[in-house]
Amino acid sequence: MTAAAPLFSESYRPAFAEFVANRREPDAIARLRREAFDRFQTLGWPTRQQEAWRLTDLSALQTIAWRQPADALVEAGALPTLEGPTHRLVFVNGRFAPGLSRLPKLPDGALITSLGQALTTHLERIEPYLDRLPGLERHPFAALNTAFWEDGAFVYLPCGTVVEEPIHLVFYAAGSDVTVHPRLLLALEGNAQATVVVEYRGQGRYLNVPLAELALGTGAVLHYHQIQEEAPQAFHLGAIRVRQARDSVANLHLLSLGGQLARADLDVLLDGEDAQCALNGLTLARDQQYGDYHVRVEHAQPHGASEQRFKSVLDGKARSVFDGMIHVRPGAQKTDARQTSRNLLLSKQAQAQANPRLEILADDVKCGHGSTTGFLDPDAEFYLRARGIPATQARALLVHAFANDNLNQIRLTPLRERLARLLAARLALDLAEGK
Amino acid sequence: MLEIRNLHVTVEDREILKGIDLTIRPGETHAIMGPNGSGKSTLANVIAGRDGYTVTEGEIRFDGKNLLEMDPETRACEGLFLAFQYPVEIPGVANLYFLKAAVNAVRKYRGEPPVDAMDFWDLVHERMELVKMDESMLKRSVNEGFSGGEKKRNEVFQMAVLQPRFAVLDETDSGLDIDALKVVADGVNALRNPERGFLVITHYQRLLDYIVPDHVHVLVNGKIARSGGKELALELEAQGYALYNEEPGRARRAAA
Repeated sequence: MTAAAPLFSESYRPAFAEFVANRREPDAIARLRREAFDRFQTLGWPTRQQEAWRLTDLSALQTIAWRQPADALVEAGALPTLEGPTHRLVFVNGRFAPGLSRLPKLPDGALITSLGQALTTHLERIEPYLDRLPGLERHPFAALNTAFWEDGAFVYLPCGTVVEEPIHLVFYAAGSDVTVHPRLLLALEGNAQATVVVEYRGQGRYLNVPLAELALGTGAVLHYHQIQEEAPQAFHLGAIRVRQARDSVANLHLLSLGGQLARADLDVLLDGEDAQCALNGLTLARDQQYGDYHVRVEHAQPHGASEQRFKSVLDGKARSVFDGMIHVRPGAQKTDARQTSRNLLLSKQAQAQANPRLEILADDVKCGHGSTTGFLDPDAEFYLRARGIPATQARALLVHAFANDNLNQIRLTPLRERLARLLAARLALDLAEGK
Repeated sequence: MLEIRNLHVTVEDREILKGIDLTIRPGETHAIMGPNGSGKSTLANVIAGRDGYTVTEGEIRFDGKNLLEMDPETRACEGLFLAFQYPVEIPGVANLYFLKAAVNAVRKYRGEPPVDAMDFWDLVHERMELVKMDESMLKRSVNEGFSGGEKKRNEVFQMAVLQPRFAVLDETDSGLDIDALKVVADGVNALRNPERGFLVITHYQRLLDYIVPDHVHVLVNGKIARSGGKELALELEAQGYALYNEEPGRARRAAA
């Protein structure tokens, strides 16, 4: 082990002491931080001897002495935008940037705001949810986020509130060897509806440890999109907790593009009857990039439906991991749970690993999973070339078709179109040639 | 326009074509008939430029140019078309998008600007009627979920849109019922003109009732055993390939 290794367990302690000493916040929140920090200390930095971290090589992070970030100035032009009216919150290095944010008028009782600010104004709305959702109890970085988050987004929609405009949450990180812990807390009360777009971007070599908590009340509908486009040298170790009440619908679209190492752990609990959840994930990785999704969907009540559709496109020496668990509790009869992992390798050095896992403790359920990994179909490539389409364009077309299938699931048109353009540019495919 | 001279082709070190000579002039339609494994599809694939076939001897010239030096897309851009025996399904690529990409690739090769959207739409509609294709097939992914007949019609439709100067039809009749066969044959016949050449590869004489060839060649064990007029097809229908039967199925086994 290198000399830097202990930094991640022991020397976090003075950093944490200093961090909490400088914060003025409610006792309840301070207590959550202390508990989370203790949990992080107990869990320790993950090692590859642990099953959940067996495939994720964190050694590159462990040689770096991570620091708390300074304030950074970001040009508005460096930030992603969405066409059309949006509610927009921007966070730079985990701190709210009101000058870059834009918040149109909201329905009565609805909140889209800085979580740090809301601690003083709406603590009663936050407390029932913050760090209260089950899941990821043994995830050290979820604990680390709860210990160290400075700020983040808080979205609260009371019963029956529908916010039509997308809620655009941009988390930008900048600096060298800094670590940021942005937080998102979203609570939809009964029958509330929201469309959320979370974007992670940055510059420099940083470690992003975000945690998103999504609570859906009875009949609530959430369209959640997360675009991870971190800087090329960055590390991303994110986590998402979702709890769904009866009849709620959660559609999560996850796109992983950036960073040298990116992993997101998702823990979804279908905690009411007839809850529906769709997880649609796409990883594009090249060079030495590593992209990893660890997903757990737990059916706790009858008549739930879940679908996990994860894909990766890997070039160069890129690697992807998909570890997906479907857990059906004994009482969760009539569950319909599906999972697929499809991986396209563009080079012989690329590598995809899929670990589908099922734990079915009920006897009247439909559960299925499938996994494929392969190269581009040479017959399809020849077919296109035999019609005059040059080889490079033919390959790009086939990759685009493979990946675009996931993007087409996105109903938010400006985002879908932006991502389709990004995909095309990344594949160096001139859409104008065919369109 | 297509000249094949002493063509020898191996697949995985087995010789499949053993010296083919064939000349097709503009406006002519030639048929190649032969039993399974005689090398018919090998000939089609070598002309189109598919990987996995090694030409050990001989040459193919297309309008005087050395075809074997061109990659598949260049051959297509030069005006060559292969109607596939087994059209490939390409999920996620819409038929219309694919066709436009193909048309524009050919135009770019010729130094022409991309096709005008309205002109393209008119052309596509006109050609769709030729093969009685439903408009909904344009929006569907290329060949995905198409029936056998729809796939073959889609091949002829593509040919009708791309308007090649020379087309190879590789067992375009296989898997078609008689109605679909007539539609496909009508589509091909509508494209026949004094400038365009066709090479129709088939196992059965049936297709040649509808696409009447100028010349018929019998391919057996990698060689053209006999050539003649359209009446040769009828003779084969009556007598079968038994007369030519020496080691049938060699090519099929080697290619498998």
